[in-house]
Amino acid sequence: MSTAVTSEPVLTAQHLSLAFGGLKAVADFSLTLRAGALAGLIGPNGAGKTTIFNLLTGVYQPDQGEIFLGKQRLNGLKPSARAKAGMARTFQNIRLFGELSVLDNVRTACGVRAKSGLVGALLRTPGWRAEERAITERSMDLLQTLGIAGRAHEQAKSLPYGDQRRLEIARALATEPKVLLLDEPVAGMNTQEKHAMRSMIQQIRVDFEVAVLLIEHDMGLVMEICDHITVLDHGTTIAAGVAADIQNDPAVIEAYLGAPDDAASEGADGVA
Amino acid sequence: MKTLAERTAAQRPNVALTALLSLAPLAVGVIAAFLLQAVLAPAVGPFYAKLVLDVGIAILLSVSLNIVNGFAGQFSLGHGGFMLVGGYTAAYLTYYGSIALWGTAEIHGGFMEGGDIFFMVACVVGGIVAALAGLLVGLPSLRLRGDYLAIVTLGFGEIMRVVIQRTGDVLPVAEAKQKGMLGSLTNVGGSLGFTDVPQYVSPTPWLEKTGHAGIFFTYIFVAICVVVAFRLKASSNGRALLAVRENEVAAEAMGVVTARAKVTAFVMAAFFAGIAGGLFGHQSTLSPSELGFQKSIDIVIMVVLGGMGSISGAVLAAIVLTLLPEALRNFSQYRMIIYALSLIAIMIARPQGLFGTKEIWETTWWRRLFGRRTKAEAP
Ligand SMILES: Nc1ncnc2c1ncn2[C@@H]1O[C@H](COP(=O)(O)OP(=O)(O)O)[C@@H](O)[C@H]1O
Ligand SMILES: [Mg+2]
Repeated sequence: MSTAVTSEPVLTAQHLSLAFGGLKAVADFSLTLRAGALAGLIGPNGAGKTTIFNLLTGVYQPDQGEIFLGKQRLNGLKPSARAKAGMARTFQNIRLFGELSVLDNVRTACGVRAKSGLVGALLRTPGWRAEERAITERSMDLLQTLGIAGRAHEQAKSLPYGDQRRLEIARALATEPKVLLLDEPVAGMNTQEKHAMRSMIQQIRVDFEVAVLLIEHDMGLVMEICDHITVLDHGTTIAAGVAADIQNDPAVIEAYLGAPDDAASEGADGVA
Repeated sequence: MKTLAERTAAQRPNVALTALLSLAPLAVGVIAAFLLQAVLAPAVGPFYAKLVLDVGIAILLSVSLNIVNGFAGQFSLGHGGFMLVGGYTAAYLTYYGSIALWGTAEIHGGFMEGGDIFFMVACVVGGIVAALAGLLVGLPSLRLRGDYLAIVTLGFGEIMRVVIQRTGDVLPVAEAKQKGMLGSLTNVGGSLGFTDVPQYVSPTPWLEKTGHAGIFFTYIFVAICVVVAFRLKASSNGRALLAVRENEVAAEAMGVVTARAKVTAFVMAAFFAGIAGGLFGHQSTLSPSELGFQKSIDIVIMVVLGGMGSISGAVLAAIVLTLLPEALRNFSQYRMIIYALSLIAIMIARPQGLFGTKEIWETTWWRRLFGRRTKAEAP
């Protein structure tokens, strides 16, 4: 299934570390994501996966290490600037704009590519109108792609759980990212939904020409679709490589057997 | 999938139609303002005309505060302070400016002649100065939220009030001429208030008597403010504000520069509050005690009652809460109790305000009453 990926690196993380007080949440994490790649980030709960997303997107600044998107150094940039640079994400603990309509959730994210400003909006210039129409059109297409166009005018918070996860992805794609970070996109879904989401992710990667980094703490899905997998435990990278190597790695087996899922500790603090 | 830029380039908006659609609401607003002044005000007499005027100023205040408190979700208690800044700026300009220009502080010229134009420009300048103050107050909002921000904005209003109270007496015409405009900068009346401001905003029927077209002026600004609020809400900039309110972390992650969004909201709201202050200040004596903490609270109540983010809700709440105390005047000893109890009752029944973020015509009961059935609602 894996496509040979030999193109330019779009995302480079070098030796990232972050501690919360005494707790080393991420230690010496490195990753290179090439254009069109679909990579996985796995590990038990509390391993530091979401924290890595927060470092990449600028929610936290690393104690050490560097992050590049293409050739642009991202350290010190705010999340909004990184979104503009081409980094998009979904949230493990869904963070939609609950009171807004499904459509407006996506349209809001389209705003990052909008050229016309406040004055155009207040005067309703032809340029603004053209762009606003384009925003709506593109947003509806995105909802169509994710299969939730029928719910465009409902409040985001009223969507069923699975659709909320789909909306998170639609919203992230609306920013026209080069890199898409998906934090447990199938959490809480049944087998059938997981299947659908799996093909959706593969489709998105092709249709949107975006490199995908996927967090999933159960191995199954990741093993099946990812070209490259990084395994974390207690903030450290214990293995990295293609699925076959990971599966047989003694350190990985150890981590998964030694640290049973502890749902209670999941996303203890901070932005998940 | 085609990018936004590609899709935008593919759009061919009709320029003439666009211009028409852009101007139409404002034209309607100006006509409505004129009708209120020329037809309604004379028909209902001075007492009710004054209420029409008060309602207009209240709408201006609640719709503008809604931009900060409703759209952006930043709890500001400083609207009275922005009114004060704008009101005093405008009053200073019309009083001392009239003296400098025309040698008297009387109303100058007839309807929409020199004096009226000068007055409206003074209101806009008041709005701009208030907007600068909004920029100053907006900056701490980047670090503070909730109660802390409320306290800072409240503190701003109180500081402004105290500063004004310590200014000197208004100079009589002769002395003002001698000292010039800059020399009279600190002579805005102190705690006694700014007396002898030319009363451009008088609700009494007009035309034959110059300058008495306050309702007209007020509702022109109301129209602009309401149109601006609606256009903001239906644009990327407005959605960015709502996103900040809904989830700041997600908003940032989707490329919303939350700092800029918040400050923009403060500046826009303060601008219209400043204009409202200018209108308010040209009715009679402009007194600092009228634009204190209580005023800010009153406006916040309108926004909260109407629904955070609902423009039509803010308009309706401004109308109701301005007229209600008058309607209850016959029960004057129970008036404040009834007023307070009805507010409490509404907030218990609908903590999100009457309409939440929705406009009145977007609510389910409105659709049920007037709307065609949409597919989703059909059985
Ligand atoms: N803001 C924070 N403050 C303190 N500890 C945090 C914060 N965010 C995450 N952590 C801790 O860092 C560790 C890694 O968390 P996280 O990255 O959410 O794990 P994962 O996503 O792999 O389940 C956990 O022990 C978590 O409690
Ligand atoms: Mg996590």
